[in-house]
Amino acid sequence: MAELLEVKNLSVSFQTPQGEIEAVRDVSFSVKAGEALAIVGESGCGKSVLCKSILKLLPPSAQIKSGTISAGGADITAIPEREMRKLRGRLFSMVFQDPMTALNPTIPAGRQIAEAVCVHRPRMPKAEVRRRADALLELVGLEPEKARLYPHQLSGGMRQRCVMAIALAAEPQILFADEPTTALDVTVQAQILDLLREIQRILGTATVLVSHDLGVVARVADRVAVMYAGKIVEIGTAEEIFYDPRHPYTWGLLLALPACAREGEPLRAIPGAPPSLLHPPKGDAFAPRSRYALAIDYEETPPMFQITETHFAATWLLDRRAPSVESPVKGGFYG
Amino acid sequence: MSRNLVWYCLKKLLLFFLSMLLLSLAVFCAAHFAPGDPLVSYYGERAEKLTPEERAQAEERLGLYDPLHTQYLRWLSNALRGDFGMSYKYKTGVLEVIGKRLNNTLLLGGTGFLLIFLLSPVLGILCARFEDKPLDRLLCWAGSLSSCIPEFWLSLTLILVFSVWLRLLPSSGAYAVGKAGDWESRLTHLILPLAVVVLSHLWYYAYMIRNQLLEEVRANYVLLAKTKGLSRRQILLRHCLRNVLPPYFSMMAVAVPHILGGTYVVETVFSYPGLGALSYESARNQDTHLLMALCLLSGGAVMLCSMLAQAVNERVDPRTRSGGGMEVERRG
Repeated sequence: MAELLEVKNLSVSFQTPQGEIEAVRDVSFSVKAGEALAIVGESGCGKSVLCKSILKLLPPSAQIKSGTISAGGADITAIPEREMRKLRGRLFSMVFQDPMTALNPTIPAGRQIAEAVCVHRPRMPKAEVRRRADALLELVGLEPEKARLYPHQLSGGMRQRCVMAIALAAEPQILFADEPTTALDVTVQAQILDLLREIQRILGTATVLVSHDLGVVARVADRVAVMYAGKIVEIGTAEEIFYDPRHPYTWGLLLALPACAREGEPLRAIPGAPPSLLHPPKGDAFAPRSRYALAIDYEETPPMFQITETHFAATWLLDRRAPSVESPVKGGFYG
Repeated sequence: MSRNLVWYCLKKLLLFFLSMLLLSLAVFCAAHFAPGDPLVSYYGERAEKLTPEERAQAEERLGLYDPLHTQYLRWLSNALRGDFGMSYKYKTGVLEVIGKRLNNTLLLGGTGFLLIFLLSPVLGILCARFEDKPLDRLLCWAGSLSSCIPEFWLSLTLILVFSVWLRLLPSSGAYAVGKAGDWESRLTHLILPLAVVVLSHLWYYAYMIRNQLLEEVRANYVLLAKTKGLSRRQILLRHCLRNVLPPYFSMMAVAVPHILGGTYVVETVFSYPGLGALSYESARNQDTHLLMALCLLSGGAVMLCSMLAQAVNERVDPRTRSGGGMEVERRG
């Protein structure tokens, strides 16, 4: 399968009065057509910035310091806004975290969907636009009558469904979903996730799901990338990440899940807090919080070690000179 | 639906009359307790030379000895029958006095209001579209300057330049002597005062629109609109503008008398016979009947425009509809 999206050595920084914030540091990954990649990590690790930098939705204070982004076979790292506009919606689009504010409050939901339908096809007849908007509503599980309602008359889940209908309106090849369920309550979360998977199955849209919730990720993703302090520290298929994790940070995340807890023991949280990206630490940024840190972790940034054809992790533990450490996640996520 | 509409209009009408009644009461009391001598407006200079007996007689004749509530009720019962009384100064019916100047004011204030009403959004949008670019900076700079210059100074400067030096435009009046019906004469007399009215008010509203638009542009829904593939111009015009307009309409409704009749300074400098100067005069010398009619006129204008603005706003933003927007459908 061809790579639909390929990000190579991407670094994104924000200029602030305090200095440069390195939100994304040297990130590489790719997405194939029709596949679901999940990006997991703590709040503030750069997940959202990564997605928004690909769609060029970041404020002017952010800039791509280095690296390339190619999508649909073309380099889009530095293309002008006019060209970018043609790609948004059609090549890729995005679902946002907070459905409460993602819709324009003064325009009926149906018209906002219809607008997305005809942005790239301005000459489409009105009846056809309507028909397509209704079909989109149906696809995301809403009755066509909901089209005339205003956002404030819809519940959070219904609004998120509308946002998804808008994102899918121009049949994008890649759908970015930036924490699409974080603002919703648990039962609605499950419905929206099922819908995401359903859409991916029906339309064959590649999905990049950003989440801090491994439970959410397990439900949807084919492949998982774990991000920490602006870097991807481990990437592999969902199976590899959940059953054979290699990076201490991934271990920490998995062990902290209630599903991994042993009876009678408290949940095992990762000690400490993530580092500031204003002056990111030298070496492995996770070392100060890791039980398995080696001396070299404080000196030199670990390279991506290849474990299998699809599985990579950036930790010195994988170096052949490192002491052998047994994974504390025995039996994997579901064990 | 149509029954609802009738009910809606009836309610608004009732509210309108109630508000007018309260307004008239408030103005009547305020006028009564304010300093000033009605006889001065009646007799002019001669009022000072009246003997105490003549004064008493005159006050008796004008009904000024009656207690306040009697005076008010007398005014009210006359007003309800369409008789708003006589102006002390002009010695004719109040409506006639106002009628003569209403045209002038509507021409100056009305055109000014219309220009400000239409140009503010245009300037605001331009600034927001090119935020922090040279055009935005230039407009902000020029706008702040124009709204900081005092009206009287601007008026005098314009007169100096265009009337005295260049001799292009007349410096005073609403039309040349004996040319009341001549449109060309009215137009040339209108340009300078109109320029002052517009220049001194325009930026206030344009700047408000600019800032509110810039606030909207940072809202979350703009990001989604951008993901659809819309351009910044399309997002501004189709999405942000309609969210900014309701507060703008409400504000403009309240500003109607401010721009329409509040052109006192301009009217004075340009000797333009409008309602602004008339209102000032009537308030200063307790020309009660005239004052009442003028206040009710501008009060009524504010209320009508506010209601109009509200009706428009309810169409633009359904959330402003009272009681109509809160039903939430079942979760799904």
